Amino acid sequence: MISLHPFRATFSRRCIAATSGVRTYASQTPGNPMIEIFNRKTKHLQKDRAARNVEESRKTDYLKDEVALRLCERLLDIKRDFHNVLDLGANSCNIARALTTPNLDIAVPEGTPSPPLAERISKLTCVETSHALLHRDEELPFNKEINIHRDVIPDLETLPYQPNTFDAVLSSLSMHWINDLPALLEQVNTMLKPDSPFIAAMFGGDTLFELRGSLQLADLERRGGVTPHISPLVDVRDVGNLLNRAGFKMLTVDVEDIVVEFPDSFALMQDLQAMGESNAIMHREAGPLSRDVLLANEAIYRQMYMEEDAPGIPATFRMIYMIGWKEGGNQPQPLQRGSGELNLKDILGGGDFQKP
Amino acid sequence: MPNRTRPIEKVAKATAKCSTEAAAYGKCVLADYNSVHKDMCAKEFMRLKDCFLAASKKG
Repeated sequence: MISLHPFRATFSRRCIAATSGVRTYASQTPGNPMIEIFNRKTKHLQKDRAARNVEESRKTDYLKDEVALRLCERLLDIKRDFHNVLDLGANSCNIARALTTPNLDIAVPEGTPSPPLAERISKLTCVETSHALLHRDEELPFNKEINIHRDVIPDLETLPYQPNTFDAVLSSLSMHWINDLPALLEQVNTMLKPDSPFIAAMFGGDTLFELRGSLQLADLERRGGVTPHISPLVDVRDVGNLLNRAGFKMLTVDVEDIVVEFPDSFALMQDLQAMGESNAIMHREAGPLSRDVLLANEAIYRQMYMEEDAPGIPATFRMIYMIGWKEGGNQPQPLQRGSGELNLKDILGGGDFQKP
Repeated sequence: MPNRTRPIEKVAKATAKCSTEAAAYGKCVLADYNSVHKDMCAKEFMRLKDCFLAASKKG
């Protein structure tokens, strides 16, 4: 199948060339026409509202802080100084907080202090659509330990930065609300300087599968149909393709599950709301969930997913971490397939499995 | 906002008092979860809801 694609591409291009003399289109979007899945305005309002309740919003930052830390650990492997770094979809600048955390490096022996990553970064630009969320923690001490610049922009999907601007682009738990992910990644690739990394974490495929399942059953039994409550999410298998398509090289993609325990499904939904992560699907039903569905959902969730004698119900968050590099000068290249001259078996030893 | 209980917290509290009814309803739905249809477990749900309403009145 794969070998067919280049042939098909040249074929269709030839077709267009033949007809272009006859008639032309005023505008034709390349690739697929864009589909709006998420309502950006709703999302913006949800984030703004959530952040204005500062206390609740800070209390529910546990997930974003944890993921930001794990994301920044990946930055430790790159032995470089970064002058100009972008945090794409910064939420409340969780990445900045993680970057100023000392002793992040677990590879150094215990007791020896390692400096925070912020020392290697000259300027961090945090970009976000919600003013209230971005500026929520402006007064906290970590702001003094890093040169941080906050940018509020109307829309995360069109970024206002010049090509070849940044030495690294980071993004943590924001890209799952982007409608046109391929276009965004292409912009990121353009904004990066050659041979610079893009490191991101986003919610993926099986995130909140428990809630998705139990709400579906509750909707079916109580109202006789289903309506989307949880966003469609990117699958791990697609991420490599997405990065590739945007022109990134030397890709690394990995997955991690974080399971959080909640006392009940109401607490879970409350926390999601306080995080600004409520449902923002375009064609969602207006108004809150009916009380009957909530009640049914709680019963089904418990019955389905609660372990016996467990104090609460589990909720799974699946993080997809991705690293991609913009193509650049002396970057290591993969060798041609089939050009290997050594047998790995000779180097690594081993061989056929033998029964003892 | 001190001492203000959100409505959803009241719902959670009242639901917690009806674990037997909730378990019965949950079991009924999951007994045949591949072909759930409307009001499949109406009887069990009404029991759960009655308990829930009684519990939320008591406060």
